[in-house]
Amino acid sequence: MKYKEETILIEVKNLVKRYGNNTAVDHLSFTVDKGQILGFLGPNGAGKSTTMNIITGYISATEGTVTVNGLDVFEEPEKVKKMIGYLPEFPPLYPDMTVREYLNFVADIKKVKKSEKNRMIEDIMEDTRIAPMADRLIKHLSKGYKQRVGLAQAIMGYPELIILDEPTVGLDPKQIIEIRDLIKTLSKNHTVILSSHIMQEVTAVCDTVMIIDKGKLILSDKTENLSESLGSTGGLRLSIKGDKEKILAALNKITRIKNIEVQEQTSSEIVNLMVHCDEHEDIREDIFYTMCELGTPILEMQTIRMSLEDIFLKVTNGSAEESVSEEDLELYDQDNELDDSRNDNKEDNTDAGDL
Amino acid sequence: MLAIYKKELRTYYTSMIGYVFMAFFLVIIGIYFYIQNLMYGAANFEYTLSGVIYLFVLLVPILTMRLIAEENKQKTDQLLFTSPVSAGAIVVGKLLAVFTVFFSVILITCFYPLIMSLYGKIPYASAYSSIIGFTLLGAAYLAMGIFISSLTESQVVAAIVSFITFLFTVLMGGIAGAFPSDNKTAYIVFTIIALVICLIIYLLMRNLTFTIGIGFLMVLGLTAVYLLKPTLFDGSVIRVFDWISVASRFDSFNYGIFNLSSIIYYLSIIFLFTFFTVQVIKKKRWS
Repeated sequence: MKYKEETILIEVKNLVKRYGNNTAVDHLSFTVDKGQILGFLGPNGAGKSTTMNIITGYISATEGTVTVNGLDVFEEPEKVKKMIGYLPEFPPLYPDMTVREYLNFVADIKKVKKSEKNRMIEDIMEDTRIAPMADRLIKHLSKGYKQRVGLAQAIMGYPELIILDEPTVGLDPKQIIEIRDLIKTLSKNHTVILSSHIMQEVTAVCDTVMIIDKGKLILSDKTENLSESLGSTGGLRLSIKGDKEKILAALNKITRIKNIEVQEQTSSEIVNLMVHCDEHEDIREDIFYTMCELGTPILEMQTIRMSLEDIFLKVTNGSAEESVSEEDLELYDQDNELDDSRNDNKEDNTDAGDL
Repeated sequence: MLAIYKKELRTYYTSMIGYVFMAFFLVIIGIYFYIQNLMYGAANFEYTLSGVIYLFVLLVPILTMRLIAEENKQKTDQLLFTSPVSAGAIVVGKLLAVFTVFFSVILITCFYPLIMSLYGKIPYASAYSSIIGFTLLGAAYLAMGIFISSLTESQVVAAIVSFITFLFTVLMGGIAGAFPSDNKTAYIVFTIIALVICLIIYLLMRNLTFTIGIGFLMVLGLTAVYLLKPTLFDGSVIRVFDWISVASRFDSFNYGIFNLSSIIYYLSIIFLFTFFTVQVIKKKRWS
């Protein structure tokens, strides 16, 4: 138990947030360990921002508790807020201040010690690469720079926990890579929670992913586990040079292959195929030797992995058409529960309307 | 709190608002001072001050309109209310900043009685007690302004609502005396006020059962008092409207009376509206 206390930074228990009849966050429970980078993934309106706003103490929860380092956000807000740096969806900037004035103000309200203040502001401006803009008015900065000033604000005081709500929205690809690198550097000394509706971002930066939809936790796992356990579909994508009929005939003889899809031919000599077998079987060698015998060279062979995007769509919509594995079945179950709860909600709504 | 105070004060003087307020206020006071005291040769500085009370109606909204409305609009409230500073400290910091701008004007007006002393004997006591009253009246308006600013996201709405409210409180002193003082009118007026309060409660909370409950209790209470002891209502309308008219409390200072009850009245208005502002901000978290 003691070991647990030392490693867990945030503990969210049964968090509920209702706006009238609308449930934004629905019995959400999770923990975040120290040093983790957690990615919140979900479509727009999934409750990501609401959850973050509750953790940072900006809004209150209808039910449930949030503790950071064992302190309750609602009972000891000032102590908890001191441990958190927060970049909301819209960076909270004062357009009529210069970058330096602004960061100076942020350092003051976050109670940074006077002796460390100037040094910290300079360091953070270096880290976020806004030093050249230090004496410009914030209203004259581009969107990318504003975002970085917002990030600098969140880092100010080097809080234990940094929460970033869609940190790369509206940035160009180069800036996105820079911000991601920055987040990775930060994660060496801080715990980071970030939200996004972009898959690549989460896979690139986070080590744990939580998928949220309609305020409910749908899936939570390590990033690498996600693509391994859910990702392998037992499929191979092949490009083989040779006669189509002969190749198909040869492949059909391999018993472990379940089905073969022929895809559009880009040239008359090359056959593009999708081959499916059971999930845990490896048929690559079989295919290789068969094609060797036939004398038709394999130009490309690629395992089909489900991208996080597919997983995400599958989990949130239940519109997956791929082969059904055990994990998938579990997901389907969760999904159905979700649908049920949605219907429940509807019924609740009509009840309220009748009243 | 100090950080908020410094930031707000800097904003007043990096934008033009602080200077515009000070310049306008001083010009008008200067003109009144010249006419009342120098041209007509009256030795009472309080005449000048009572003449410029309407300035608050115009100028206080300019100072207070952006204080919280702008934070709401720019979403910078998210920075303030997720930093380790309490809502109370934020509001007090802002209030102190706007007081500082206002007090700097008052500090300059403090020199006027001294200027007059060049021409003859001056009743200093009544002059300075009226300056104290004037300062407290202004501070009360500023506290009301910051409260109105916390209710909206738009500076323009905050300015207009403040303007109308302040105008109402200034005019009220003249209107209140005209109300009938019999108890039946009082009963009707108070019932209407109770219903308006219910409407406001409903608009704020969107809770029909609670609103109806409160409304029912208030009307029941009023009816009970009216049936059991109607004399309690005699002249009460005038008394209530007199109580609302913030500006008419200044009249006693005008006659050279250092009125302690007026001072307590202004201080409680300042305290009350600061408290309301903090509550509005806290309530937003719970909606």
